[in-house]
Amino acid sequence: MWAPYAFIAPFYVLYVLFMIVPILVACGLSLTEWVGLGTPKFVGLRNFLDLARDTSFHTALANSTLYVLVSVFVVVPCALLLAQALHTRGLRARDLFRVTFFVPMVLSPIVIALVYSLLLDTQYGLVNSVLKALFGGGGVDWIGDPDWAKSTVAVVVLWRWVGYLTIFFLAALQAVPRDLYEAAELDGAGAIRSFFTVTLPSIQPVTAFVVVTSFIGAAQLFDEPYLITNGGPGEATLSVAMFVYRAAFQRQQFGYAAAAGLVLFVVVFAVSQLLNRLLAIGRAE
Amino acid sequence: MSTRADTRKTREPLRRGGRGGMSRSGRIALYSTLTLLLLIFVAPLVWAISSSFKPRGDIFEYPPKLIPSPATLDNYRTLLDTQPFWNWFAISVVTALLATTVAVFVCALAGYGFAKFRFAGKRVLFGVMFSSLSVPFAVILVPLFILVVKSGLSNPWFALIVPWVAPAFGIFMMQQYIVQSIPDEIIEAARIDGSSEFGTFWRVVLPLLRPSLGALAVWQFLQSYNAFMWPLVLLSDVNQYTIPLGLNILFRAENRSYDLVMAGAVLASVPTILVFLLLRKQLLEGLSAGAVKG
Repeated sequence: MWAPYAFIAPFYVLYVLFMIVPILVACGLSLTEWVGLGTPKFVGLRNFLDLARDTSFHTALANSTLYVLVSVFVVVPCALLLAQALHTRGLRARDLFRVTFFVPMVLSPIVIALVYSLLLDTQYGLVNSVLKALFGGGGVDWIGDPDWAKSTVAVVVLWRWVGYLTIFFLAALQAVPRDLYEAAELDGAGAIRSFFTVTLPSIQPVTAFVVVTSFIGAAQLFDEPYLITNGGPGEATLSVAMFVYRAAFQRQQFGYAAAAGLVLFVVVFAVSQLLNRLLAIGRAE
Repeated sequence: MSTRADTRKTREPLRRGGRGGMSRSGRIALYSTLTLLLLIFVAPLVWAISSSFKPRGDIFEYPPKLIPSPATLDNYRTLLDTQPFWNWFAISVVTALLATTVAVFVCALAGYGFAKFRFAGKRVLFGVMFSSLSVPFAVILVPLFILVVKSGLSNPWFALIVPWVAPAFGIFMMQQYIVQSIPDEIIEAARIDGSSEFGTFWRVVLPLLRPSLGALAVWQFLQSYNAFMWPLVLLSDVNQYTIPLGLNILFRAENRSYDLVMAGAVLASVPTILVFLLLRKQLLEGLSAGAVKG
């Protein structure tokens, strides 16, 4: 009788302590003004009203939305394309490719940031050296120009995530029964048409999982913009997670930071629950 | 839903499946594209390794040289002599191993509970667990920091493992694996033999979970070892930094000079790359199995 509860209890104890309690604390804190010392002062919904008028927060929301869009509409399709290429019949060295493309996920974000900062240094970096040698001119200001800085973060996100997502798609493609393709071929479907009529519907659950995972990951992006561009130039690459970090740990506005975190939470939670429901994943049995 | 056993049997033919034959030019295009991509993935890392062996003044020399000449170990020597790198290394590895051990155990227990028992509230509890996947860490960053510091638990050996001990992802992975690969009969047989519920789990179920536990362990180790945001807000004593935090602070303090941090980046990546290469099959298959059959 009690056995199943005993098995799941350790998880729920930790879950309550380190997830539920913090969320409740965040809710309480978001209604206060607190610099980290003394007693928090109750201010009602003022933090949320301030957020609604805070242009930095708007910028952060817009940037995080951009990161989400890039992840879902660029990184995910690239991963599917890569998986499709790796799924090619009789491909040699498939494991070499699969493993190599996964390596960025194994590396620490700080390592990735250091490597890219080295490569993309405006004056002396390898990439600009090559560009200058090939095309002349002054090279590209990868970190210092607002638009290029956004692209740099996006490219690093692509580089880091694509191989990870590819393994899910590849496993899904390998599980599609072969006779479905043969049937489509008999019906005269070409490669493109059987991709849309056989492949996509068959891998739908995995696509759903990958889309939700990338959405959640991108919405809370912190390491790449913090480490590579430090949110800059100005606030061109500032993400919501960075906004929360700065409010709390650079300006000691703990209540304000908690409020910003909750806004992120509500949006991410609502959208991913909606996606889960639409795409029907995450049910026991 | 297919069982694990017949997936294994049919994998080979399926692997060669997919679309029919490909023309010679298509094949050439495919291999050159993949090889080009391979280079794009490997080149930054090769460049980083090469730079770590260059004297400070040569890192940005023009024209760029792939093979450092002269090559030097000075960057490594200076890093290890002037920075408490081995402290960072120890704290990163030990806390990652602690977090991994706790997480794997907690996930195996809960995964088993969800996979093999019927009980009141199961659907709701599973849903609650699963929905925690969509809680961004930034939300609990501030309250978790306050809780940990206020309750006097900011000792890094403890505090660093806190965010990694109960990953819902791991429970989902375990639950999927147990449903697919552990038949009820084995558990029934152990019960008839008079084994206690926990004894059955410990002696019968846990050994059968080994491949999946390996995948989860590697994944959790990587998450914790590579983590950046939590150590960034938590740690203030340079002797108790993790490697990622130490490298970041060093890079900023050295006025963004690359010699020491590149050596550090290479050293930092050795354990994770080694673990990954040794257990790559388990990890990649373990990660994708749950999602594909879920």
